[in-house]
Amino acid sequence: MDGHSDAERIAHLEGRVAALEGALKERSRVLRLLQSQLCRRDLILFSRIEAGLPPLPFGDFEPAFWSETVALAPSDVEETLTDLWRSLKSVAAPPAGGGAGGR
Amino acid sequence: MRKASLIILAWNRWELTARCLDTLRRTDLEGAEVLVVDNGSTDETPCRLAGLEAATDPAGWGPAGLRVVTLPRNVGFVRGNNAGIAVADPAADIVLLNNDLEFLQRDWLQRLRRCAHSAPDIGVVGCRLVLPSGSLLHAGTYILPDTVWGQQIGSLEKDIGQYPGVYDVEGIVFACAYLKRELIDAIGGLALDFESYFEDTDYCLRAREAGFRTVLCGDVTLVHDEHGSTRGDDGALMRLFQGSRQIFRKKWGAKLEARYRHRLLWQSIMNFPSGYAMSCRELLKALEDERVKTVYRYVYGPGTVFSPSEPEQSGDYRLNVISARRSPRRPAVAVVYGQGDIFARNRGRYKIGYTMLEVDGFPRDWVRQANRMDEVWVPSAFNRDGFLRSGLERPIHVMPLGVDVRYFHPGIVSYPNPAGEYLFFSSFEWGERKEPWLLLKTFNDEFSASEPVRLLCKIINRDPEVRVKEEIRRLCLKPSGGKISYLFNLEFPHYQLGSLYRSADCFVGVSRGEGWNMPLMEAMACGLPTIATDWGAHTEFLHPGIGYPLAVRRTVPAIAKCPYYTGFSWADPDPDHLRHLLREVYEDREEARRRGQAAAREMAEKWTWQRAAQRIRARLEAIAG
Repeated sequence: MDGHSDAERIAHLEGRVAALEGALKERSRVLRLLQSQLCRRDLILFSRIEAGLPPLPFGDFEPAFWSETVALAPSDVEETLTDLWRSLKSVAAPPAGGGAGGR
Repeated sequence: MRKASLIILAWNRWELTARCLDTLRRTDLEGAEVLVVDNGSTDETPCRLAGLEAATDPAGWGPAGLRVVTLPRNVGFVRGNNAGIAVADPAADIVLLNNDLEFLQRDWLQRLRRCAHSAPDIGVVGCRLVLPSGSLLHAGTYILPDTVWGQQIGSLEKDIGQYPGVYDVEGIVFACAYLKRELIDAIGGLALDFESYFEDTDYCLRAREAGFRTVLCGDVTLVHDEHGSTRGDDGALMRLFQGSRQIFRKKWGAKLEARYRHRLLWQSIMNFPSGYAMSCRELLKALEDERVKTVYRYVYGPGTVFSPSEPEQSGDYRLNVISARRSPRRPAVAVVYGQGDIFARNRGRYKIGYTMLEVDGFPRDWVRQANRMDEVWVPSAFNRDGFLRSGLERPIHVMPLGVDVRYFHPGIVSYPNPAGEYLFFSSFEWGERKEPWLLLKTFNDEFSASEPVRLLCKIINRDPEVRVKEEIRRLCLKPSGGKISYLFNLEFPHYQLGSLYRSADCFVGVSRGEGWNMPLMEAMACGLPTIATDWGAHTEFLHPGIGYPLAVRRTVPAIAKCPYYTGFSWADPDPDHLRHLLREVYEDREEARRRGQAAAREMAEKWTWQRAAQRIRARLEAIAG
C-alpha cells in the first residue's frame, strides 16, 4: 500500500472530480460563448480543427479572405446574409437594435 | 356574406383528419358549415367522427356545426367530393379541402371568399400550398397539350413570399378549392370521367368554357402534406394517374392545342448563365401564356462566336417541353434572340433579329446581318437610335423586356442587418463597363466608418486574367471611410434574388452602359429606391419620379475587352453627383422610400414579362396580317 488512508484517497479522488467538473463547466461556457458569437462558417471551421480535419478555405465577405477564383459557389440568400451579419457583429457589441431604414 | 360549405374528404389516416380539423377549428369560420365526408374508412375514422359530431360545440364550428357524411365504401376522390356537394346547403359556395391540410392562417376562408366575390366572372379560387418543410408546393397549375401532364407552379422552391395577390391561372389543385355557387349551378360537380387525378384541371377548363375564371389567391397559404392521405401504394397511384391522363387527353387534348394563336421558332440561348439566356427563359414562358406556340432551338454552338453545346435540361418542365417540340425546316416566322452577329442563322421564312448592346452604336457585321432580316427588334429606344445611326435599313421595333413581379415585389421575405445599418446594394460583373472602381471609391470617400451605413457589393468575375482582390487593394480604400462588404462569386438561385434586394435599403448601379439592366429593374420591382446612370437602355424605365438618375458628364470612348464596343462611346458617370445622391438617399429616407414604392407600382403596371409577351404577340398578329 502507499501509506495513505482510505479517507485520504477518497478526498483526493473527490478533489479530482470537483476539478474535472469545474473544467467541464468552464469548457461548456466557452463552447456556449463560441456558439453564440461565431458565424456558421467559423463554427464549422472550429469543429473541423478540433476534430483534426483541415480547415475550410477562407472566402466570403472581405477580399483578404478570398481565394481568387472564377468558379461560382452555389449559395442560399438567407444563409449567406445571416452569416454576413454575424460576421460583422463584434463580440463586445451591445444587443442588436431594430431593422434598417424602416423596412 | 355568402355562406360557404367546407367539404373535407377523409379516407383512413385518422391522425391527418384530426390535425386538419383541429387547426381548422382555430380559424375564423364565420358564415361556414363543415362537412366531413368519410369515404369508407376502415380505421378509427368513423368512430372518431361520430364522437366528434355528437360532442361538437356548435360555437367552435360556426353556427351550422360539424356534420359527417358516411359513405359505405371508398368511392374515390371525385364521387366522394360530389357526395359532399350533394348534401351541402344548396345556396352556399363550396370549399373542397383535403384532410392532409393544416390551417395556420386564421382568416384564410374570409380571404378566399372575398377573392371569389371580387368579380362576377371568378368561379374557382385556389391558394398557395406549402409542404410541412416550408417549400412552396403549389401556386396554380398549367398543362401543355404536348405532354398532357399537369404541372404545379412554384414547385418546391423555398417560400420567400413569391406569388402574392390575385392572378389568373389555368388550373389549381383541388386540395383546397373555393367554388362559387353560380359556377356549380352552371356546370355541376366534378366530372365522373375521373376517379382521381385530372378532375381538378378538368373542372377549371369546364369553368372556363362556361365563362368563369380560375384565380390563385396568393394571400392565402395552407400547409399541405401532399399525398399524406393516399401514401403507401405508388404503383396503384401511377395506374390511377395514367388512366385519368388518357381520359383527359381524349377530352381536352385537341382543345388545348387549338388555343394557340401563333407559332414561332425562337432561336436563342437558354441554359447558360447569361442575360440573354435568363430573359429568353422568361419570354418563352410568357409567350406560352399568351398562346404563342414557340419551338426553341439553341442558336450558338460550334462554328459560332460561342462554341459550347448547350446542356439539354433547363431545370424547368415547360422550357424542356418547348425545347423538345418538333420544328419545321422552314418555319413561317423565326426570331433569333442574341447578339447581332448570329442573325444569319435565322431559319424562318420571315426573319426577325432581336438584340441589344451597351454602347451608342452597333458593329458593322451586326448591321450587315440585321439588314438581311425582315425586321429588327431591340428592347429600347436607346438601341433603336444606335442601330439607325449605324446604318440599319430594315424596319426596327422597340420590344422592351420585363420583370417577374411574382418574384420581385415589396412583399418578398428579407433578411436585413439586425444591427440596423442603412444598406446600399450593388450587383455587377467586375469589368470596365460596370465601373466598380467609381462606386467603391466614391462610397468609401463619402461616408465614414462611424456612420451606420454599408455598401454590399455582389460581384461576379469569370475572367481568369482579372484579379479583383488586387484591383480593390489598389483603390487604397480608407479603413476610416464608408464600410464595404462583398459577396464574391456566389451564385444564388435566381428566384431568391428578390430577398437580396429586399434586404437592402437602396440599389446602386453606376455602369457606363446597359443593354437593358435587369438587376436595376428587379430592384425597382422590389420597391427599392435606385441610383443608376442616366444613360443607356434603362432610361426606358428609370426616371426621377421613381428613382435617382445619376448625371453623366459626357460620353467617352468605350474601351473594354469586349470587341463589339470598338469605335463606340458610352457614359462617363459624374462622381460628384454620385456622392450627392448617395448622401441624399441616406439622409432623406422618406423621399427615397416614396420613390421606391412608386417604382414597384410602375414595374408591376408597365414592365412585366407578360406585357413584353403581349407586345410580341401583337407584332406577330400584325406580321400575319
